[in-house]
Amino acid sequence: MSIPLSHIKQLFPIFHQHQKLIYLDNAATTQKPNLVIDTVHLFYELENANIHRGLYELSSEATQRYEAVRATVKNLIGAKSEHDIAFTKGTTESINIVAHSFLSLVNEGDNIVVSGMEHHANLIPWQQVCLKKKATLRIIPVNQDGDLVLEKLDPLMDGRTKLVAVTHISNTLGTINPIEKIIAKAHKKNIPVLVDAAQSAGHYPINVEDLDVDFLVFSAHKMFGPMGTGVLYTNKRHHPLIQPLNFGGGAIREVSFAETKFMDYPFCLEAGTPHVPGVLALGTAMEFIEQLDLHETSNHTYKLAMAFRNEIESLGFVQAVGNPKNSGSIVSFVVDGIHPHDVAGFLAEHQIAVRAGHHCTQPLHDSLGLAATVRASFSIYNSLNDVGKTIDALKDLKTFWS
Amino acid sequence: VSKLNKLYDDVIKRHNAEPYHFLMKPDPANSIRAYNPICGDRFDLFLELDKGTIRQIHFHGFGCAVSKSSTSVLAKTLEGKSMAEAKEICRQFLRLLKEEISSHEILASEEFKSFAVVREIPARYDCAALAWEETLKFLASAALAPRNS
Repeated sequence: MSIPLSHIKQLFPIFHQHQKLIYLDNAATTQKPNLVIDTVHLFYELENANIHRGLYELSSEATQRYEAVRATVKNLIGAKSEHDIAFTKGTTESINIVAHSFLSLVNEGDNIVVSGMEHHANLIPWQQVCLKKKATLRIIPVNQDGDLVLEKLDPLMDGRTKLVAVTHISNTLGTINPIEKIIAKAHKKNIPVLVDAAQSAGHYPINVEDLDVDFLVFSAHKMFGPMGTGVLYTNKRHHPLIQPLNFGGGAIREVSFAETKFMDYPFCLEAGTPHVPGVLALGTAMEFIEQLDLHETSNHTYKLAMAFRNEIESLGFVQAVGNPKNSGSIVSFVVDGIHPHDVAGFLAEHQIAVRAGHHCTQPLHDSLGLAATVRASFSIYNSLNDVGKTIDALKDLKTFWS
Repeated sequence: VSKLNKLYDDVIKRHNAEPYHFLMKPDPANSIRAYNPICGDRFDLFLELDKGTIRQIHFHGFGCAVSKSSTSVLAKTLEGKSMAEAKEICRQFLRLLKEEISSHEILASEEFKSFAVVREIPARYDCAALAWEETLKFLASAALAPRNS
C-alpha cells in the first residue's frame, strides 16, 4: 500500500508552519517530511555517538545504522552491492571525487564529453580536469526545444574519449535525457558514463544494474532528505580508480610517517567524522520514497508541469523555455518585458516560491540567448490549485507593470 | 502601500521603462562592467571623461527593474560632476541603501530616496548597489592612475 497523493502534503510540517506557502522551488531543494526531520533530531537527542571503533553500545548502534543505509540506497537504485555506495556531501562532491580520480587517467590530447545542459557542478570539474591535462572538453549540443542532439554524440566520441558525463534530468529545462541510449552508445566504444541524477533520484525509478551505468551521483536534499548528504555510486569495475579527495582518519588501513595504505572503495572516501544523522535521515527519506508509488507521483508532477506550461503559454505574455520531447516536473519561463527577478520578487509577495537567475546553467542560458529565467519546479505535495494561484499571480504581475 | 508598490515606485518604474542614455556606446578606455554573477545582471557603463569631469554616461545591458533604474539614476546624476564629486555621490547613494540618513543632508538627487526601500528588502540590496559599487571602484582606481586627458 502506497501513501495516497492526497495525504502527502500533511506529512511535511513546513506547510503547517507556512499555510499559504506555494513552494515551487523543488529543483533547488525539496521540503522534508516529519520522519526525516525526526531522524536528525532524535539522533542527537537519544543516539549521538561517533561511528566506528567505539566499543560501547551507542557507538556500535550508530555504526550499524549508518552502514545499513548503504543497503537501503543499494536497494533503491538497484545496485549489486552496498559497497558500491559511498556517502558524500552531495552531488557536487560526488562529481568532484570522480573528476579528481580521472586526473590519473586523462592525458594531453584526450577528451571528455559533457552535454550543453549540464549544471555547473557537472561541467566545471570536467572543464578543470581538461584544462589541467591539456585535454579537450566536448559538448553534446542542445537544440532550441531543449533536447540533446544525440546524432552528434557518436562523432564526439573516439579512442581518446575518457568519459561521458551527462545529466539525467535538466535542472533548467526539465528535459529527461535518454540516458540508456547514451550509455549504450558510449559503452559500444568502451567509454564509461557518469550520470548526474540530482533531479531524478528518488523521483523516478532508477536501476543502475539495468542501465549498466558506471557512476551515478545524487543529493539527499532534493529527494526529501537532509542537506549536506549525498551519494556516489560506482560500478565495481571502477572501484580501484576512485581516489580520496580528503585525507584523514577512518579511511586508512595502515599509517606510518612514510606512507599510508588506504581502505578500499567506498571507505577510502569517508575520512573524518561523516554527517551521521544526515546519512541516517537519507535512509529515512528513502524509506519514505519506498512508500510512494513513483509512477503515480511522477505522473502527478508531470501533469502539474504540463498544466503550468499550457496555462502560461495561453497567457500570451509568458514564454516557456524549450519544449522537450520528454520532460519532468520543471518549467522555466520568461515574461515579456519583465526581468526574472522582478517576476520572482512579485510572486514572493504572493507566497509563491520560485527561482530566478541562470540556475547554475550559464552556458545553456547563453546558448539559448537568455541572461536569466524564472523556474517553477513541482513536487509530490503540489496541486493544481498551486498552478492556478501562480497563473493568477502572473496575471496580476502583468497588470501591476502595465 | 504594499511592499511591492513601495519597491516599484514611480521613479523606479519610470527609469526602468525609459532608462537614461540607454545606448551601446563602446569606449573601451572608460567603460565599467557591472556584473552580478549570481543573478546574471550585467550592465556596461560608458563614461566620457574630460579633464577630470564626467561629461556623459551611457549604459547598456540586462538586469531587473531595480538594477536597471538604479544604473539609470546613476548615469543621470553623475553627468557633469567632477570625478571627486562623483565618488562622494556614489558613497552617499550606497550609504542610503544601508542606513537612515539625516533629513538635513542634501541628496545629490531626490530620486535616491526611492531606493532606500531595499533596507526593508535586503534580497534586493545587490540590485540597487551593483552599478554604484563598480563605478566607485572605477573612480577610486582612476584617481590613482596618471591623468591622460
